[in-house]
Amino acid sequence: MTTSTLAPIAVGARASERPVAVALAAFLGLGLLFMVGFSPAIAFHNAAHDFRHTQNFPCH
Amino acid sequence: MIIRLLSAALAAGFFAAVVVTGLELTLTSPLIVAAERFEQAEPSHQAARTLPIVLAHAGHDHAAPDTAPEWQPGAGLPRMAFTGLATLVGAVGYALLLGAAMLACGREPTPQVALAFAVAGFASVALAPGLGLPPELPGSEAAPLAVRQAWWVMTAASTAMGLYLIAVRRSLIAILGGVVLLIAPHVVGAPQAPEGASALPAALAAQFAARSLAISFVFWMLLGLGFSRAWLVFGRGTARGTAHG
Repeated sequence: MTTSTLAPIAVGARASERPVAVALAAFLGLGLLFMVGFSPAIAFHNAAHDFRHTQNFPCH
Repeated sequence: MIIRLLSAALAAGFFAAVVVTGLELTLTSPLIVAAERFEQAEPSHQAARTLPIVLAHAGHDHAAPDTAPEWQPGAGLPRMAFTGLATLVGAVGYALLLGAAMLACGREPTPQVALAFAVAGFASVALAPGLGLPPELPGSEAAPLAVRQAWWVMTAASTAMGLYLIAVRRSLIAILGGVVLLIAPHVVGAPQAPEGASALPAALAAQFAARSLAISFVFWMLLGLGFSRAWLVFGRGTARGTAHG
């Protein structure tokens, strides 16, 4: 198994920041994608309509 | 690291969204607008053929309140602007997930790593769900929305997990599990569209599906390249800061 660890900047006192960063980014990313891709609100659907079709989100 | 990750995702998302919005507006939006003409033409044909009794029930006075005028962007420029905005929000969302995935796997987002993860992202959210639910134009026949959304999310998650097990974990048992996860959603099967003649020309639908997948691929490659570049740029300040501090 290859273990190419993160650059030395992450090592040390700030290494504990990584799980927080990952969780925050994942939460924000999923939230944004839900809004544009899945939100059932009619306004969101109509605004993001062409994007949803092009990016193959189920629409209509 | 939090600021660096969020900044890189914002920058990569913006970069990918600018290019991809241009591609969407020139390649797929015209096909969607063309398809909507068929979609709108259909009910009027049916209405002309059905009995007056049915028409009375289908009238707007008795129809559910959700058929009341809904907000939608005006045709032309407003609609293009909202497509661009949605692309930007979606691109930043995917860039955040891309960055989170690389950091969670403990990989430094170099261009090679970011492109590899971007290929996995493309496979997870475009290719695998597209196998069961091909990119659709308005007006094509399809199974209920909630069922399709559930299958889509399950397939994307299962494919991403499968690719992680195969490409990152790499032990024999992980690879076997990964292959199962890759195949399982397709064995379960995507919700099938009801049989019915759609007024949409097949050539239009096929062209749209091909263009949609091509745009998705470009989108993910740009996200990967943009993220690795932005990660480097936003890292300079941080690295200097920690060196002095």
